Amino acid sequence: MAIPGNKDTRDGVLFSLPFVLIYLFLLVFPIIFGLCISFYKWDILSSRKFIGLGNYISLFKDKTFYTSLWHTFQFVFMTTPILMVAGFLMALFVNSKSLLRGAGENIFFIPYVLSITVIGTLWAWLFQKNYGLFNQLFMLLGHAKVGWLTDPQKAMWSVSAATIWWTAGFNMILFSAGMKQISAEVYESARIDGAGYFRILKDITIPLLRPTIVLCLLLQIIASFKVFGQVFVMTGGGPYGKTRVLIQYIYENGFTYFKMGYSSAMAYVLFLLIMVISVVYYKIMGRDK
Amino acid sequence: MKRKSLSACLLVLSLLLLGTVGIGASGSQEKDVASEKGGPIEITFWSLFTGGDGEFFDAMVDEFNRTHDDIVMTTDTVKFDNYYTKLTTALTSQNAPDVVVIHRSKLLNYVPSGTLYPLDDVLKSVNAPMDDFIPAALEPCTFDGKIYSLPLDVHALIMYYNKDLFRQAGIDKVPVTYEEFVATAKKVQDKTGAMGAAIDNTTATYKAYTLTRLFMSFMEQQGGSVLTEDLSAADFNNEMGEKALQALVDMVHKYGITESGLDYDSSVAAFKLGKAAIHINGVWATGSFEKQEGLDFAAVPLPAMLGKPAAWSGSHTLAIPAKKEMSNEKLAAAVEFMLWMTERGDLWAKAGHIPIRKSVSDNPNFQSLPHRKDYAAAAASSFAAPRTVAWDEIYNNLSDSLELAVASGQDVKTALAEMEKMVNSIIASY
Repeated sequence: MAIPGNKDTRDGVLFSLPFVLIYLFLLVFPIIFGLCISFYKWDILSSRKFIGLGNYISLFKDKTFYTSLWHTFQFVFMTTPILMVAGFLMALFVNSKSLLRGAGENIFFIPYVLSITVIGTLWAWLFQKNYGLFNQLFMLLGHAKVGWLTDPQKAMWSVSAATIWWTAGFNMILFSAGMKQISAEVYESARIDGAGYFRILKDITIPLLRPTIVLCLLLQIIASFKVFGQVFVMTGGGPYGKTRVLIQYIYENGFTYFKMGYSSAMAYVLFLLIMVISVVYYKIMGRDK
Repeated sequence: MKRKSLSACLLVLSLLLLGTVGIGASGSQEKDVASEKGGPIEITFWSLFTGGDGEFFDAMVDEFNRTHDDIVMTTDTVKFDNYYTKLTTALTSQNAPDVVVIHRSKLLNYVPSGTLYPLDDVLKSVNAPMDDFIPAALEPCTFDGKIYSLPLDVHALIMYYNKDLFRQAGIDKVPVTYEEFVATAKKVQDKTGAMGAAIDNTTATYKAYTLTRLFMSFMEQQGGSVLTEDLSAADFNNEMGEKALQALVDMVHKYGITESGLDYDSSVAAFKLGKAAIHINGVWATGSFEKQEGLDFAAVPLPAMLGKPAAWSGSHTLAIPAKKEMSNEKLAAAVEFMLWMTERGDLWAKAGHIPIRKSVSDNPNFQSLPHRKDYAAAAASSFAAPRTVAWDEIYNNLSDSLELAVASGQDVKTALAEMEKMVNSIIASY
């Protein structure tokens, strides 16, 4: 209810105006523009040529599109479960009574603050086959060199390892916040009833943390689908395109070969895919709530 | 009243926020106007030289500014990976600097859309000594009879070898044929334990382009080419292609003179640290090898391993973006800078690049540099990448396929057939 004399509507509009304008200009407009150019053949410098669904049709015939999409899925499957479990365990640790919990919180979260270029370059050095730290240690121990980033069987795992080190701290923050919201009385009464640590974890912490878990998993899946920076910096998509993910292929088409239309079409396919997965996931998880 | 002033404040703030976008875009134009009102003319430039050659380039710009009172050159270094993305978007929004570097192989992506300024008239008006340029270097910068950029250098694929290791293995002759190349590398490897030939064959932080460049060179050495003359299809799925690819695969799998899974950084480091007898790379590595203490090396043109001498080469060229407004004084200043840069090719050669002006090649400053004249001949037998807009995509995909073939020791006929299909479909998509 509006209070007489107050101009809530006017002030409301005015307050949200800066955000709305920037939102329209930097988000809504590019999204619509992107959809439009996906029907064109356009190299930015020359004029656009309308080709209807041409880009979408050639996309479904493009072998590299499928392999890149498959590599993206591989990455999602490799990182998501580990990141969830790692984030959860870290959160348990920083919410425990351990004396190291403060230090732990910082150590776990600090990597997340660093930029992807820093992380990528750092891990690329560590993983370097001939001169990297890991292989130097391996060789001291009498092992043969391992092609962490140059062996197609291992390259994606290596990128995943770096990603886990980098982003697990973010999940920890989400889980940790969720754990802090569970009231102390619930725990107290459980303890009075004689429940042990694992019983409490299984029957109290995890069930009560359910909304956080649902949200965290959704954010994680979306984030993993959008993987690009790590791969780009660490392996460049190699060896021979075995770690090329979809966003990298979109980037290459758009900004290296300047096939803007084709690139947008692929971006829209990825967008639809993420949307479908998110909606289906949310419907399933929300049903028994 | 208070609320009113608050909302007014907010309004101003939001206008300011939006305004920064516009101000950012018009900033460079304001600077133009200021410089035309007197004082030295300011020219802006983006440098993409972030590798070993960057410091040599910056030194040249300093030297230019020191010797010119009427022109001030300001440079901004852009990371190479993003350079062309940034350049293209800047060209569309008319925000590009006054002088830009464009690789010879990239010119075709810009010239047809009218984004570069044709230089003939300006060059004529300042009496530029065009005869002094090596025709082979100038020709690729010319489209429909008009010059769109000035070549700064030629950088060809050459062969480096470690003199110490050669001596230790008792080798006194630089290999010329493929058989000699393999025998030499093997002999050094057996006698000294060093790697025979450090040639990168896998993508790590840097794509394995050396393989692609070698494959192209091997095709040319046999009188072939990777694309047909009219650039409409792949032309390597034949006997020449088989020989070229087999030569690359055999180095790893049959003769074992180089390891599989070797990336660019490792191959450079191996040679730098004296752990490899032979290294194949572009001329740009020379400067940094010279700085390595205790490395006694020589650099020669790529051996004519499969026939006649031929080596892949690239070229940095300087161009002026076609802007809506650019005064004649400014154009002349930009061209003066470009000509000066080519004239001082002896300074640029310190990084390893081969000069493209005859007067520079004869210049004692250049002649006295070690190594350069040993491989300067490479320019004569060097060839440029095919002139098609599809080239970038072909080059990158070819690189992936060659890497796969070499890493897995793939049957060359299968590999070439797959590569041909891929290249033809790329060409069809443009």
